[in-house]
Amino acid sequence: MDRLFDRRIVFVGGKGGVGKTTTAGALALMAAESGRRTLIVSTDPAHSLGDVFDTRIGNEETSLVPNLSGLEIDPEAEAERHIAAVKMSMKSLVAPKMYREVDRQLDLARHAPGTMEAALLERMADLMAEAKQRFDLLIFDTAPSGHTIRLLSLPEILGAWSDGMLGHRDRSRKLGDLLKVFGRDHSREDEFGMIGGSKEEPDDSRDGRIRDILLTRRRKFHRARELLTDPAVTAFLLVINAERLPILESKKTLALLRQFNIPVTGMIVNRLLPPEADGEFLRERRLQEDEYRAEIDETFAELPRVYLHLLPHDVHGVETLREIGKAIVAQLGDDS
Amino acid sequence: MTWADIKKKGRWLAYMATEAYNVPYRGAVARAKREQDDLFMLLIFCEMMGVPNPATYYTLELQPIMLEKFHEWHKRAGMEHSPLDDFRCC
Repeated sequence: MDRLFDRRIVFVGGKGGVGKTTTAGALALMAAESGRRTLIVSTDPAHSLGDVFDTRIGNEETSLVPNLSGLEIDPEAEAERHIAAVKMSMKSLVAPKMYREVDRQLDLARHAPGTMEAALLERMADLMAEAKQRFDLLIFDTAPSGHTIRLLSLPEILGAWSDGMLGHRDRSRKLGDLLKVFGRDHSREDEFGMIGGSKEEPDDSRDGRIRDILLTRRRKFHRARELLTDPAVTAFLLVINAERLPILESKKTLALLRQFNIPVTGMIVNRLLPPEADGEFLRERRLQEDEYRAEIDETFAELPRVYLHLLPHDVHGVETLREIGKAIVAQLGDDS
Repeated sequence: MTWADIKKKGRWLAYMATEAYNVPYRGAVARAKREQDDLFMLLIFCEMMGVPNPATYYTLELQPIMLEKFHEWHKRAGMEHSPLDDFRCC
């Protein structure tokens, strides 16, 4: 996991409740304190980033400590904005008596499955593309595994979709060009008084607009995909606990991330029982934990791993985060 | 017959010959293009017809542009009004 902070984009993911937000927050704090301008972004619709930093963060970039800003993406607000723009352009095309229809239909679209994901992805793609100018490092605190995988696979699916759509437009355009070759000669028709249908012109402007929209989309998706799959730019960290379910889920997550060529660079084994904890109950738990820990070491042997102990208190506020961050950085052996 | 008349006759013959050649192709190509365009439109509106689409969010912004074409399509398909409950253009 050498030089994690030299990447531009770090994703922190894992099963729900394993400590993703805490880990992401601790990493972000370390990066900021090493002098990197850092933005930490929560993509989980149930945000808890603000709670970890013991402050309020919203859909706007909020300064947390020097060099570190936080952002909790609100997909609903993003979707709202997108749909409002479509409404505007649709209303410019239909008769005023149809406005209610337009509103009704588009309000339904807002609740369509996939709308929120697409809105979230859109904002993430924008951040990945433009954050370079303002930040050295972008840390995404992601939602539980399934959601994130789907999100990270969207650029590929949508890239293929926009390619396909552009292909259709190209074929249609070529046929249109051919039609012009075989087309009616209006000047001759007039000269010889031929009776023809209406002299409709091919609608090049509509085709142009459709192409522009599709091309912009495709460019965005391909760019996001390029960044996501470049190991020099992006790192994905899996957070796990030494328990049965997180191990099972992380196995699946890892396979899927690999399938989509997203570089998984390390694993953080969180919430291990500290050696100083004693008593009969904890001794038994530790025996079980050792088994799972061995399983993790075997299953994820190829991933560099960082081990963190359970803390005696909840995590909120910068002090605790720094404590955790230091433990991570020490194990990373990073000179960052 | 003046020289101008002869020239016009010549143009008329050339025009007729070209048309005789072009007309069958014109129809076929126009049909092919229309079919291509109809398929494209189907892809834009497919979610409304119950076909799941991974990109609904993005087809949405193409719908306003396709509105007019959609109207032409359902007329051509022999439907007086829009067949979609959620999308009435007329």
